[in-house]
Amino acid sequence: MTAPGLARSTTPVVAGGGPMAVVRSFLAAARIGWAVDANWTDPVLFLVYLVAKPVSAALILVVMVQVVSGGRAGALTSFVVVGSALWSTVTAGISGLSWSVLDDRERYRMLKYLYVSPSDFLLLLMGRGVGRIAVGGLGAVVTLVVGVVALGVEFDPGRVDWPLLLVALPMGLVAIVALALILAAVCLQTRQDAWSYPEAAAGALFLVTGAVFPLAVLPSPLQAIGLLTPLTWWVAGMRAAMFPDSPSSLGGDGSLFARLAGHAVPGSIEIVVALLATGAVSTLAALAVFRLSERRAKDRGLFDQTTGS
Amino acid sequence: METTARSPRAGLTRGGRRAFVGRTTTSPADAATWSRRQTIATELRAVRGRAYPRVRAALREKSWVLFEIMLPFLSTSAFVFVYRALQAPPEYVGFVVLGGAMAAFWLNVIWMMAAQLYWEKDQGNLELYFAAPMDLMSVLFGMALGGLFMSSTRAIVVLAIATVLYGVTFSVDQWLLLGAVFVLTLGALYGLGMILASLFLAWGREAWHLTQALMEPVYFVSGLNFPVARLGLLGAVAVAVVPLAVGLDAMRQLAFSGSAAPAGVVAAPIEALILAGMTVVFIWLARWSLRSLEQRARRDGRLTVRWR
Amino acid sequence: MSAPASPATASPPASPATASPPASPATASPATASPPAIDARGVRRVYKAKPKDVVALDGVDPEVAPGEFFGLLGPNGAGKTTLIKILTTLLLPTSGSARVFGFDVARETKQIRRLMNIVSGGEQSGYGILTVREQLWMFTQFYGLPGRQGWQRVDELIEAVGVGEQRDQRVSTLSTGQRQKMNFARGLLNDPWVLFLDEPTLGLDVAAARSVRELVVDWKAAVPGRTILLTTHYMAEADELCERIAIVDRGRILAIGTPAELKRRVQRDSIFRLELDRLDAGPAALGRLPGVVSAVTAGGNDGDGVERQTVVVNLALADDAALGPVVGALGGLGAHIVALAKSEPSLEDVFVELVGRGFAEEASTDRTGSDDDQRDRAEVA
Repeated sequence: MTAPGLARSTTPVVAGGGPMAVVRSFLAAARIGWAVDANWTDPVLFLVYLVAKPVSAALILVVMVQVVSGGRAGALTSFVVVGSALWSTVTAGISGLSWSVLDDRERYRMLKYLYVSPSDFLLLLMGRGVGRIAVGGLGAVVTLVVGVVALGVEFDPGRVDWPLLLVALPMGLVAIVALALILAAVCLQTRQDAWSYPEAAAGALFLVTGAVFPLAVLPSPLQAIGLLTPLTWWVAGMRAAMFPDSPSSLGGDGSLFARLAGHAVPGSIEIVVALLATGAVSTLAALAVFRLSERRAKDRGLFDQTTGS
Repeated sequence: METTARSPRAGLTRGGRRAFVGRTTTSPADAATWSRRQTIATELRAVRGRAYPRVRAALREKSWVLFEIMLPFLSTSAFVFVYRALQAPPEYVGFVVLGGAMAAFWLNVIWMMAAQLYWEKDQGNLELYFAAPMDLMSVLFGMALGGLFMSSTRAIVVLAIATVLYGVTFSVDQWLLLGAVFVLTLGALYGLGMILASLFLAWGREAWHLTQALMEPVYFVSGLNFPVARLGLLGAVAVAVVPLAVGLDAMRQLAFSGSAAPAGVVAAPIEALILAGMTVVFIWLARWSLRSLEQRARRDGRLTVRWR
Repeated sequence: MSAPASPATASPPASPATASPPASPATASPATASPPAIDARGVRRVYKAKPKDVVALDGVDPEVAPGEFFGLLGPNGAGKTTLIKILTTLLLPTSGSARVFGFDVARETKQIRRLMNIVSGGEQSGYGILTVREQLWMFTQFYGLPGRQGWQRVDELIEAVGVGEQRDQRVSTLSTGQRQKMNFARGLLNDPWVLFLDEPTLGLDVAAARSVRELVVDWKAAVPGRTILLTTHYMAEADELCERIAIVDRGRILAIGTPAELKRRVQRDSIFRLELDRLDAGPAALGRLPGVVSAVTAGGNDGDGVERQTVVVNLALADDAALGPVVGALGGLGAHIVALAKSEPSLEDVFVELVGRGFAEEASTDRTGSDDDQRDRAEVA
């Protein structure tokens, strides 16, 4: 006699499609990502990720500024604090997807099950990475608050360019996810020791995005790379929106932008258009790279390999 | 009635039988009792054995050349340009370059040593390590040694390229002391790495996350990008307990001797002594910590529980 | 409770299951000059858990002689893996003591690790990026073999276990069966005096499982002085391989003995199925013969419901020797033998006899799960 739970259903179960199914899959993956990565059950760990990590990153730069300027560089201090805060979101976002791939493949051995489920693999990965992006975003907020309260960053809520902020923020997050996808595609092909790759990539981008120093300091070829990177425009846009008096990260006299655009500081519209254009290119490129990596992984049976050394 | 009928087999070949006989020990007591020399030889071979997969993997899959060398070089360059934007004196660029080079060894200790036991547990290798007769310290040292190949390459590339590209000028008066400080810094770092590895064994996932989360705070108190003396009391404390801080401080004093940059927390020879003391203390602590935590893990049954 | 496989017998039901029944003289370890390979006394292992602690082992005392092939047979969650982990120094007993060749598992771990090795079923350990040969060589270093000798030993063992063709293949690309053979080779690298096999055929297909069992037998034959402790929940595997078996359930040893001794617990008589062309005198004529406990004719249909043309008699004999006179008497009764087969109880029958339920029922009412599940739940709590 068949156990009751195993009796065949009289109604065929068909995997549902449509937008609601997509949303459900994404939310389910996001919930898992938050539960696994956010460490919200461990208050100490959560606080360290939320406060100690991003604030320390900012303090490194603040001390660097203080060391040279001897405490006389108020505007520069604000510049590096804001840039560092924003960058903690970038680092967390880029790491999120890549570590999800490595975690699910090497540790939890779940990657193949995610892949063969009817939900879109890309969507599941993105949902899975959302937890870390959220923590990174919260860390950015905490750093800005610390900056305003303790480090002399001047912030006037009344002067915030809300339209620019509300447009630039989501566009920037899309760009971050696009870059994260590229890294995730790389991690799908590489071995377990790729844990450090996302931070290395974020560190490299740190050089060309004007996060903590004006782009004008770089040689022109590097400035050009920076201008083609969506994160450069995102950082500039967020800075311009929240701290309108802050020096521009990609403009300024003698900068490549000034030479190309004919004026020193980019306006809001320019920032949005450039962010849209570079973001779109990055997103398309990321999708193409990811699908290529996925196909190669399927071809070589990489979804369930373990690669420790 | 269950049966397992055995198919007719020719049985083992003579070669197979010889393989199964293996090396001869006359009794279990003979097999269990090793001379001091045999014990030491085993520990050294275990170091070599565990370093082997690291080196093979690095030669077999070369993505680390981009991600562990070129990109971190760009990351170090970012801090160089911060100082250039601030129009800092040129020796500060040298500080950042040296910090970037030494960061490679710190990351080797953290990712390729401290966190490794946690990952080995996940993979099911930890049980086999404990069931084998070598000391776990040999395994950890082998891991670090194997990773040294990549981190040394990274350090050399960062130093060489940055020196040429950014015009860093080193001025070394005491090469022997500089070499000794470097070796002692690695010794102290590896000792600390072994202690952290035992903590990971005890705390599991929390310890791994904690270490990952504390990367930037460690960079901050270590003065990776600035002289740690600028941190005042915090810098003094760091020099007393963080190997990277005291090692970097000493190496900066020795590598840029006579520069106008801020002096170290204490003189380099004293910091060398601090490092020597740290090495001894950390390695002794690591030995004690690994053994007592192994006992605790055996008592609590944690050696093979994944995801903890 | 599932019915035993053997036909109905006249023997009384066995007494209720008891912990660690005293060994009969036939099962006692033979007196040896060297210490027992394994000597456990009152080993107890408790995992802290909420709401209640989990008792994985509840005072077990197995003793294994040097050179013996000893089996621990029991369902998932019985405590087999827990006991192996204690004996291989991976786990401490909560109370009691255990020694491996005289060395204490709690205090003399180094000595034990030098003379033993362990191979587990379903083992996924190793470094995927290394080849089979490299992976095994790495382990030779952990056991102190000089480098060149290590390569030589690896090459010999790779051929002996049958993964020669995969020697230069990455570990991550091996099939389950190939990986387990590689694991078995790893278990022999240090020429262990005692080899612990923890469900070594778990998850393997029929051919691969058979192959691994044959490797075990071949190794034992090549080095007869070595001891093997095998844990398994496959009855036939224990029956085939082990010289003595301990049946384990819920942390206790219920019985120890050779497979034949254990089966005799549930069936003291020898049962034969005798198919004759005719038996006009009826089974009573056989029942009166010396040594015959009972003779009962089976149903007139065969298994497919087709009426049989022959007569099937289920004979219970006091011992096998009584069969001769029975066969001799058949001629006088005008009967000819069409087929004769001996019917034996299985080890599952023994388990049912001892515990009152089968392995399958054990799995469906499993409150504790596998040994690893027990421990994991305890740890999570």
